[in-house]
Amino acid sequence: MAAEAVVTAVDVGMTVEQIAATQLGMKAMGAGVAVGLTGIGAGVAEMAIGSAAVGATAENKDVFGLVLLLTVIPETIVIFGLVVALLLLFV
Amino acid sequence: MLNPRQMSRLLIAASRDQMAPVIAELYRHNLFHIEDYVDAGAEGYEGFKIGSPLLGASEKSADLIKIRAITNTIAVRADDIDAGPSCSRDELQKKIERDLPLLEREVEELTVRRSKFETRAKDLEEKIAEITPFADIPVDMNLYHGYKRFTTSAGYVSREVILNVPHEMHFSKGKDKNFLVVIFPTEQKSEVDKTLAEAGFQPVPVPEESGSARGRIEFYSGEMASVHKEIAEINKQLEDVKQKHAAFLVACEELLKAEVDQTEAPLRFATTNQTFVAEGWVPADKVTAITNSLVYVTDGKVFVTVVPTDPVHDSVPVEYNNPDFAKPSQVLMDVYSRPKYTEIDPTLMLSIVFPIFFGLILGDVGYGLVLLAMAFGLRKFLNGVEGRYLLDVLRNASITSIFFGLLYSEFLGFAIPGLSPIMPSRHLIAEHGGHGPMIPDLMIISIWIGILHITLGRILGIINHAKQDHGEHRTKAMLANFGWIAVMWGVLLVIWSIVQMPLMPDLTALPAVISIINVGGVAGLILAVLGVLLIARDSVLEVVELPSIISHVLSYARIVAVGFSSVAIAMVINFIAIGMLIEPQLENFSIFSIVIIIAGLVVFLLGHALNTVLGILGGGLHSVRLHYVEFFTKFYKGGGVKYIPFGMKRRFTED
Repeated sequence: MAAEAVVTAVDVGMTVEQIAATQLGMKAMGAGVAVGLTGIGAGVAEMAIGSAAVGATAENKDVFGLVLLLTVIPETIVIFGLVVALLLLFV
Repeated sequence: MLNPRQMSRLLIAASRDQMAPVIAELYRHNLFHIEDYVDAGAEGYEGFKIGSPLLGASEKSADLIKIRAITNTIAVRADDIDAGPSCSRDELQKKIERDLPLLEREVEELTVRRSKFETRAKDLEEKIAEITPFADIPVDMNLYHGYKRFTTSAGYVSREVILNVPHEMHFSKGKDKNFLVVIFPTEQKSEVDKTLAEAGFQPVPVPEESGSARGRIEFYSGEMASVHKEIAEINKQLEDVKQKHAAFLVACEELLKAEVDQTEAPLRFATTNQTFVAEGWVPADKVTAITNSLVYVTDGKVFVTVVPTDPVHDSVPVEYNNPDFAKPSQVLMDVYSRPKYTEIDPTLMLSIVFPIFFGLILGDVGYGLVLLAMAFGLRKFLNGVEGRYLLDVLRNASITSIFFGLLYSEFLGFAIPGLSPIMPSRHLIAEHGGHGPMIPDLMIISIWIGILHITLGRILGIINHAKQDHGEHRTKAMLANFGWIAVMWGVLLVIWSIVQMPLMPDLTALPAVISIINVGGVAGLILAVLGVLLIARDSVLEVVELPSIISHVLSYARIVAVGFSSVAIAMVINFIAIGMLIEPQLENFSIFSIVIIIAGLVVFLLGHALNTVLGILGGGLHSVRLHYVEFFTKFYKGGGVKYIPFGMKRRFTED
């Protein structure tokens, strides 16, 4: 690995430290993208369900538990994003 | 404990003259869940009719409506009033006859007067709004009307208007729009209207007033103030009535509600000309007590028997049967759905696992203490049973937060000095020579929790199918649930035999069979395939759902993810408040530093307050969701009928 890095460093004219820093930056950006995009995804998915859920609850209060359940289902998407981000940053 | 309270179906038959004492006795016991009689010609009920209310029902209903009208007007709620010394029935009855009509008249008079004043206030408001545009025009309003050959137009225009007909115009320039009043000969109306329309004219009605506009506005405002004063006076009088009669009113309401309930109960019974039959449910252990007391009050002129039931097809009402510490969690169960009578009631598991999840997510001594204080402090403001239960749930959750906070060694995001974490550390930065975040360990712990929780759910699914289903379907459904467990553990075996992971069994050293697949992997594969076959045998479509095993197990990673985000926010707040604002100032202290230190403290307090709210939302909602979505979907259907006994808990009156 180290030898490879040195070879690459020589190839692109950067020091090993610079490459390590770039990789760290890439990781951080990856983590940000993972959380950000999944957050948008979960938001878009919950948008329609949430408004329908509020409507259904207004009609019949008893369905609150069921619609809460349906509303939070897409939340898993952003949790996956967060897990990926944590793995990228800390593992 | 894991089953709802056992119920027996009771059939009560007696002659009609025993109806009143039987109803009164059932009401006093507050245990009999009446099964409403439906006139549908059920077997054995030929010739029966729905009963008619007892004597005096309509008068009592009318009285109750009066009382409720009064309590609504003066906003008295039984929950807000402490139960004082109970009144006896006769005493109250006398008071109702004597005081209620007077009180009703008094309140009605006051409300009628108030609504008159309110209408007047509205009229005045409209008048003021009508005159206001004319305030800037220095013309007596008398001059706007009373002409035979002239017309007055008033309204808003976008720009100044030049008219080619003889006219008198007043124009006042405003910020957004300009106001204009113009008086012109009526025969040239069409021409004027056209010109005005070109300037974007929006007409307003010309008020039928006299005198200067400002003067009128002042006059009406003065009148409005006096009307508001009158309304305030009436409200004060109503408040006095409330102070004086609140206790009497709630006691009356309770008494009358009890009487109306009782007089209307025959509407739910089956009756003939001479007899009546009431069917309903009582807790099995109370059958003897109820039977004995019914026999006692009717001098033995009643027939009471327990009817055999079919728990699957009868809609047996469901009453929770939980130990005291698990009762608060019933609120969370009712939000989802009450269990069916034949189903396992998971309240006990919810009451244990929910606080653990909450503690694992929030896990901070500081936040735990704040929530504990909240759980006790809010008790003063919440009187209802459900509110109290919710606070109890919060209390239990905050205690586990403190416990796990000690295990994580966290206090408002700081590491607790001298206490190294027993659980894997969640601190972003290694403090006090401790460890940085141990994400893989935490992640695997949460995955383990998921695997075990889901396995438990599936086992409960097997038990539920065993209890509820019959014949071939029962076996298939039970085996399908076992199939889901087999697939999950089979996949796990395969993973363990290929990859080595912390906190998980290592099966990579087992003798290899083909390339990377070893004995463990083969066993896992066999288990998984067997599982898929068992699932497909029950329902082929279910096979499509197989990936949900992975998504459901991974969903438990939210225990780490949500908790970690809370730690991260706390650390950021601490860094901004202390590291960036307070500490540098303490090192180079000057007068100006005090301001910045105060700003730092404000950031600290506001930030942690926000994070506490997020902690409740994150910890609470995600823990509940893990139960509702990942756990309950494996075994729980719900939809049981709530047990509503005939009777009430008396607070203000005696029997």
